[in-house]
Amino acid sequence: MVASLVALRRPDYGYALLQRLTDHGFPVDANTLYPLLRRLEDQGLLTSEWNTEESRPRKFYRTSDEGESMLSRLLDDLAAVQTSITGLIQGVDR
Amino acid sequence: MNTLTDRYLAATLRSVPAQRRDEIATELRASIEDMIEDRAGGGADAAAAEREVLTELGNPDRLAARYADRRLQLLGPTYYLVWLRLLKLLLSFIPALAGTVVAVVAVVEGKGFGAIGPGLVVALHVAVHICFWLTLTFVLIERSQPTIDLPDWTVDELPDVPAHRDVSLVDTIASVVMLMVFIAYLPLQHYQSWVRTTDGDNIPILDPALWSFWLPALIGVLALDVVFEIVKYRIGRWTWRLFATKALLNLAFTVPVVWLALSDRLLNPALGERLDWLAVADNREILAAIIALSAAVVAVWELIDTALKTRRQTT
Repeated sequence: MVASLVALRRPDYGYALLQRLTDHGFPVDANTLYPLLRRLEDQGLLTSEWNTEESRPRKFYRTSDEGESMLSRLLDDLAAVQTSITGLIQGVDR
Repeated sequence: MNTLTDRYLAATLRSVPAQRRDEIATELRASIEDMIEDRAGGGADAAAAEREVLTELGNPDRLAARYADRRLQLLGPTYYLVWLRLLKLLLSFIPALAGTVVAVVAVVEGKGFGAIGPGLVVALHVAVHICFWLTLTFVLIERSQPTIDLPDWTVDELPDVPAHRDVSLVDTIASVVMLMVFIAYLPLQHYQSWVRTTDGDNIPILDPALWSFWLPALIGVLALDVVFEIVKYRIGRWTWRLFATKALLNLAFTVPVVWLALSDRLLNPALGERLDWLAVADNREILAAIIALSAAVVAVWELIDTALKTRRQTT
């Protein structure tokens, strides 16, 4: 979810996002990602618009302002976990 | 238009909220085609690629549930523990209670042992009903509201550490049943003994004059014995306090019986009219002595036995 919000700072459609995430080491199942995008949109964390210029209609998602603030909170949490883990690892004698 | 993709879309959209169906359909179809194209571009057969992509997306019902944010479980962890606790509580007594009531009613109607069947059937029905309705209620609660406030777990709910039981349930039940039979026999012998007058009327074994005080008093003592057995089971082992109570109850029963027997007031004098042997005063005295002696021996034996058990279980 965090990865999706980060990646969608640049608008993209479902399958392209899936490939980008996979390339960056976040293998996601298609049957998880597509419904997730829907839910994030329902929660207002993503905005979307249809692009009909290409060969088939595609829905492009983009992280909304609300999504950005949620994302910064989540990243802070992740950073806190990372700090704790690092501290713990360094604190344990090998 | 009846490709695998069409069938897959139809199966998925069937259970997605209607107002979003078209949008999801368009997006999902585009995504699927993207995926197929990507794979087929690598030189693979288009039909095989379609098959592979749809397999990867998995069961359409599951996908639809994810779109609709639906739970794929009957009852989730939020309510499971409360459900289980309530279920155990209700099943622990309601079926037995209902079955017993039905059986008792059947006995009153004069069915005798035939009352056990209906009782068991009703108990089983009630148990199934409890399981079904309780589960249904919880399933509906979980689906209707986000969460209802459940009381938080507190340490006060911890059950006692199961104590090592020196008093077994089987023994307790056996004792209670014996006492009940005995209590029931006292009034029963008044109306139904094996001795009858020449006219066929029933002669009570025990002197009917005793009903003015002694028999009700003895029944009272026996009823206290029943209570005692249950309390003893709850405590789980013999204690000196229980021993003292038991001794008092024993004396309260045995002393009157011995005294009544020795003063020739226990048995019904009318028995002598029917049984010649009892008409002789000496014989009556012998019988009275036997009754008094057996009652005393039983009481003393119980006291010794109980004292031994108490000493063993309190050390």
